[in-house]
Amino acid sequence: MSKKVVLGMFAVVLVLTLLFSLTACGEKKVPAPDEAKQTEPSQKEVVINFPSIWVGKDSKANVFGSFVKEFNEKNAGKIKVVVEEMADYQAYRDKMKTNIAAGTVPDVFSFNNAKDSVLYYKSGNLMDLTPHMNGGWKEDFIADALKEVTYQDKIMAMPYEFAVTPLMYNKRLLDKAGVAEFPKTMDAFIEMAEKLKGQGVMAASQMTGENGWFSMLWYSHLLVAHGGPDVFDRGLDDPAFLEAAKSLKKLFQYTTGDAVGAGAAVAGGHFLSEKTAILVNGPWFIGRIEKEAAEGMYEQVNVAPAPTVAGGKGKQGYYVGFIQSSLAAAKQKDKAKEDAVAAFFKYISTPENVKRLSLDSGSLFVIKFKTDENDKMSHIQKQMIEQSSSAPSITKHFNAAMDTAVVTEFPQALSGMILGEFTPEQFVEQLKQKAAQ
Amino acid sequence: MNKAMKNNLGIILFLTPALVIFFVFFVYPVFFVASTSLVRWDGITDITFVGVNNYISLFKDGTFIKSVTNNLKWSMSGGFIHVPMAMFVALLLSSKPKGWKILRTIYFFPNIISIIALSMMWMAMYNNEYGAVNALLRAVGLEHLQRNWLGDLHTAFPALIAYWIFYIGYFMVIILAEISTIPESYYEAASIDGANRIQQTIYITLPMLKGIMGTCITLSMVSGLKQFEQVFIMTNGGPANRTTLLALYLYKQMINYRYGLANAAGVMLLTFGVIVIFTIKKIFSTNKIEQVG
Repeated sequence: MSKKVVLGMFAVVLVLTLLFSLTACGEKKVPAPDEAKQTEPSQKEVVINFPSIWVGKDSKANVFGSFVKEFNEKNAGKIKVVVEEMADYQAYRDKMKTNIAAGTVPDVFSFNNAKDSVLYYKSGNLMDLTPHMNGGWKEDFIADALKEVTYQDKIMAMPYEFAVTPLMYNKRLLDKAGVAEFPKTMDAFIEMAEKLKGQGVMAASQMTGENGWFSMLWYSHLLVAHGGPDVFDRGLDDPAFLEAAKSLKKLFQYTTGDAVGAGAAVAGGHFLSEKTAILVNGPWFIGRIEKEAAEGMYEQVNVAPAPTVAGGKGKQGYYVGFIQSSLAAAKQKDKAKEDAVAAFFKYISTPENVKRLSLDSGSLFVIKFKTDENDKMSHIQKQMIEQSSSAPSITKHFNAAMDTAVVTEFPQALSGMILGEFTPEQFVEQLKQKAAQ
Repeated sequence: MNKAMKNNLGIILFLTPALVIFFVFFVYPVFFVASTSLVRWDGITDITFVGVNNYISLFKDGTFIKSVTNNLKWSMSGGFIHVPMAMFVALLLSSKPKGWKILRTIYFFPNIISIIALSMMWMAMYNNEYGAVNALLRAVGLEHLQRNWLGDLHTAFPALIAYWIFYIGYFMVIILAEISTIPESYYEAASIDGANRIQQTIYITLPMLKGIMGTCITLSMVSGLKQFEQVFIMTNGGPANRTTLLALYLYKQMINYRYGLANAAGVMLLTFGVIVIFTIKKIFSTNKIEQVG
């Protein structure tokens, strides 16, 4: 084949490729079937697409599935919610992020309230729920929860699942070590840790693998203990970040030898097999304690707020809690569809339904509901609700409050500090560098 | 239309689909990554052009430098330990000792197991509390050597390298196949000339393997540059970023919504890959192989 022909062929292919890519980059969008008819009032059934993570083995799958079924039956012929099952949380997050960036937001979706969710609100692709909430619906919610999803005075999502992450302790192990009462101060905590160590038990499960979850929660508690509930408002320059780092480093003296590099499965497993006496985690772990813990341990697990520190600003009984998930919807031009989405949100957030979901799954919610003595509830969950209700403050955790780059660096900086690579000062500096990058 | 033109048209028609796919899925993404490495972009809000700032940030970031050096170590281990080991075993098996087929299968077996499963298994093996490695050390009276292999600043990276470097089956099979193509007559002639087995290996087999060794080393080193899953699962780059690699660094920038920085790291990864390929190609240029016989 002559050189000329090859070059000609190359040119044709290049032009085709460029044309293809330029078309793909263009602003013009083929209207979705729903958008095409947006000017006409909807006569036929409104279909709401909902990619959901509350499916399969998720603790909420059973009751949430019933909600969708009941709602569809109640609105037969008018509204239909179609669930797209997505059991992989990370894949779900990535997909939603891509959809929002591309402007192809699903009708309804859920997300966790990390600091970066503000990017979703900024995208301008989400439905403003304010007009619907103003009709009295918002009275059902804990007021602070609505603040979390408000951007430029607009309620951009419906806060839903709530979680607290207190200290879950194994009373059986504490009794063996001669500790009658769970310590309220850090000094007493260290004293208890020494006693436990004497019994061959480590005080707390820690980890620096994955996202360092359990240790990140410990750090969050210690931050509040040192800096008070508004510690995150003051940023990484606040001395509390350094003091909490020093306290956390000390706590690593009372954990298992594999804590550096351990993931949640390993560190959580140590608590379940009674190698450690304390685990900081949320209500979703209750089911695992019930099913997988050492024999007779479940009844012995109790909940306590984290200890305070001498001279710290955190008041006795403080809690770390956060909105675990919220639901948002795509901006709709079809009023009927917008109303249908709002109706679905209202249905799944009625106090009665949320109570059903909470009692069945063990999860907590930002929608207020009442329980009575006949309600079957785990004693661990009950303690969490009682203690969080009377907590002087509930502060979000470190990962929810900080920039994603800082969150990603946390386990690396922590392992460096524990292994002596960094001083606590350098640990904080490492986080600051990532925040500034 | 004459015959030559018809032939050319046929060639063009047959090649076009493959070329279009190549451009759309390989060439275009490379240009896209290169162009977006010059912007600040979170994937959702507007893009801002920042010139070479992302590259400056990369070279100021200690974690990026660590990623590059770790990648180089990983690639070198692949090229200069992993492949030579594969060659050594292939040479041994090529003489077809008793049970060589079983040994070949055993060596190849880890290649058909998922990397995730292998990584999980080795995480358990290296565990400080219940791992087999420490148990073995205890059993042979070397308790003082016990440690948290993946959680120690000094052992984490060597432990990661050590776990895969012995899985030589893939390259062993490739080299073994190449050895089988060397004409038997070369060895017969050498034997008549009085060459023993070692001399035959040194003067016939090894020179004939030069080409395939270049290919294996290239594949191994490029694969070393792309490493992600094992490190992501076993250490996530820790402790203290001691085991981080370029692909993991890139991934972390991406989940931090720093797509410009991630793509700048991607361009660097691509550049290193090209350098490695050209260097190996130069060193192992098959044109320079002296023909035997």
